[in-house]
Amino acid sequence: MCLIYRLLLGLPLCFILMLSACKPTNTSSAPIIKASSSPEIVFAISQAPLNLDPRYATDAASERLNRLLYQSLVDFDAHTKPQPSLASWQQLSPLSYRFTLNEQRRLFYYPPSAEHKAKARKLTAYDVKATYDSITALSDSPHSAEFSNLKNIVVLNERTVLFHLNAPDRHFPAKLLLGILPAELLKSQHDFARFPVGSGPLVLLDSQNKWRLRRLDDGQRISLIEVKDPTVRMLKLVHTEVDLIQGDLPPESVRYLQAKPALTVKTSVGVNFSYLGLNMQDPQLKKLKVRQALAHAIDRQAIINKAMLMHSRLGGAILPPEHYAQQQTLPAYAYDPALARRLLQEAGVSLPLKLVYKTSTDAQRLRLATIMQAQMRPAGIDLEIRSLDWATFFAEIKQGNFQLYGLTWVGVKTPEIYGQAFASDSVPPKGFNRGRYQDAELDKLLATDNWQAVTQRIHQQLPYIPLWYEGQFAAMQKGMQNYSPKADGNWDDLATISAYAH
Amino acid sequence: MIKILAYGILLFWLLAVVLGRLFQLDPNQIDLNAILHTPSAVYWLGNDDLGRSILARLLHGVEVSLLVALSVTAVTMTVGVLIGLLAGFYGGRVDQFLMQVTDVFLAFPGILLAIAFAAVLGPGLLNLMIALSLTGWVSYARLTRGQTLSLRDRQHVLAALSLGASVPRLIGKHILPLLTSLLVVEATYSLASVMIAEASLSFLGLGIQAPNASWGAMLRDGVRYMLVAPHYVLIVGMSLMSLILAINLGGDSLRDHLDVRQEAD
Repeated sequence: MCLIYRLLLGLPLCFILMLSACKPTNTSSAPIIKASSSPEIVFAISQAPLNLDPRYATDAASERLNRLLYQSLVDFDAHTKPQPSLASWQQLSPLSYRFTLNEQRRLFYYPPSAEHKAKARKLTAYDVKATYDSITALSDSPHSAEFSNLKNIVVLNERTVLFHLNAPDRHFPAKLLLGILPAELLKSQHDFARFPVGSGPLVLLDSQNKWRLRRLDDGQRISLIEVKDPTVRMLKLVHTEVDLIQGDLPPESVRYLQAKPALTVKTSVGVNFSYLGLNMQDPQLKKLKVRQALAHAIDRQAIINKAMLMHSRLGGAILPPEHYAQQQTLPAYAYDPALARRLLQEAGVSLPLKLVYKTSTDAQRLRLATIMQAQMRPAGIDLEIRSLDWATFFAEIKQGNFQLYGLTWVGVKTPEIYGQAFASDSVPPKGFNRGRYQDAELDKLLATDNWQAVTQRIHQQLPYIPLWYEGQFAAMQKGMQNYSPKADGNWDDLATISAYAH
Repeated sequence: MIKILAYGILLFWLLAVVLGRLFQLDPNQIDLNAILHTPSAVYWLGNDDLGRSILARLLHGVEVSLLVALSVTAVTMTVGVLIGLLAGFYGGRVDQFLMQVTDVFLAFPGILLAIAFAAVLGPGLLNLMIALSLTGWVSYARLTRGQTLSLRDRQHVLAALSLGASVPRLIGKHILPLLTSLLVVEATYSLASVMIAEASLSFLGLGIQAPNASWGAMLRDGVRYMLVAPHYVLIVGMSLMSLILAINLGGDSLRDHLDVRQEAD
């Protein structure tokens, strides 16, 4: 009896022990993803990330996601001044910088899809060297040129690394924004584009039909799905198929979402600068008075008030007024069609002045172009709008095959952009001086790094017509917390977003 | 009843175009204070995303649609009929060559070929008409060639030939008149399909360029504001549907009218 009793008690116990033996034990020291009880958060995006290898990524979606998958040495503060992220730095001489990794560095997470499931370890100075050595060695990376001034990298110890330059560069730390990759995977030519291995707050689990992510800290699941059509994206949010959308909607649609009691819409100012590009080789646009006439022929404030997102604001220069290199408010060119007409006549232009404006097929861009076309008419400017598919449009702009075009500078952080966009020797493919602007006076100012004088000169000479900084918004289900849109449209708050479990 | 409805709708649109011209409605007058307003006493059909009158744009759009449809149909019919007549009348190698060219064009989906041409030529009204004309003649050529093959051996054609009639006279006086009824019916269907193609290309941004109004571009804009201002897309959609339906029904009734077999029944 006693034996049977013991067996009855013992057998289930043995069974439980056997089962527990079958469970995989955490023998490696890989970072453990905690299980989350909260529901998956679905984020509908307008454009899918194209390449998750930070050495190759150039599209906005990839850059935004890479900020969450990888850690970089440097980031920017509210005034867009470079500040330590993964490392603090010291300038030892005009030609060398010492970077010391701080304790915010995390473990590399090796997902099951990684070819080499190395033992998890913290990011070290060797990974920093390997990453930047790799990018300087690549011939097909769009970021390689930025590091052409890099002479060599020396690792002092696990946490300290020295960067030696060929020529002095005061803005060098601001360039170290690339996500750091594990050295051993770089050596084995791992496919980071599809199977990213980083040390950021999120990990990519798979990217079959959607980008399934998991937050390392609390296991929160986040999915990114691509929904190109803005109306469909909005409908999916309204019908709770998705939890979050951000950007790429007309202002009327944002106001519609704001009226929905089940949704929260948050808005913020933006820093992406829209402008009218001018071809400075054009016989008419060469004349300063014609450019001034164009600036006075557009009622930018009316467009902002009626056809743009909340928090959109007048733009004066590529960098916003709050940027540390800007810190000044440039006088706006007021809408004055009579003055514009007079300026054109003074410039010896026979009216109406016929100009061709090239833009993409994006509906909102076309809409804004149509308003500008109507506003320019009383000033004696006959604007013809030509909308082209993005690839054709951008190719024509780079070739200088345009009179006027509309574009937006996205994600610009450093004042060096002025040199890249307006220096006489920065004509594509070397730089972004697409209007072929030649100004010896500006070249001199650019050499002095006197950014206020540079922006004033540009504002006076008008090699482009400044338009606006478009506001940002994010719309989400009521239960979403800890997410707000950022001025440059990044998705950094996916590292903190949470949802109520219903 | 259907016939009356079809002709009624067609008459309505033709009248609307004339009245639109008469009242000099400006389809490009932007009013930023009236963006996406619903119909009112001032703007009978409301306003679009730039505060322009939807009614004025609709009337201007139908004008453009009809202009494109009629021009393209005229060009494609002329080219197609000519090719079909030559192929059918001469037969042999001429027929073989012309029909092989026709088959090449038939092998491509018409609208896709038009999209490709419009993309290469660039957007614009003239380029749009060229793109649509390049693909539209095929059905006329096939139809004409088939009919000509049977007509050329008819007694009256052979009699004219034996009396020494020239080829242009044979084709112009003895074959073409017998094809007219068929071609007119084909043309009505072609009108409707050209209008749809024009709207599709404009919807894709390859047709009429801003600020000019076209129904396809208006539909594209309307879809963007489907939830915010449903009246916009509904008005344009219903207008396009009614006109296409009317043309198709008109074509049907014309076919019935010209069909001798039905009369015999």
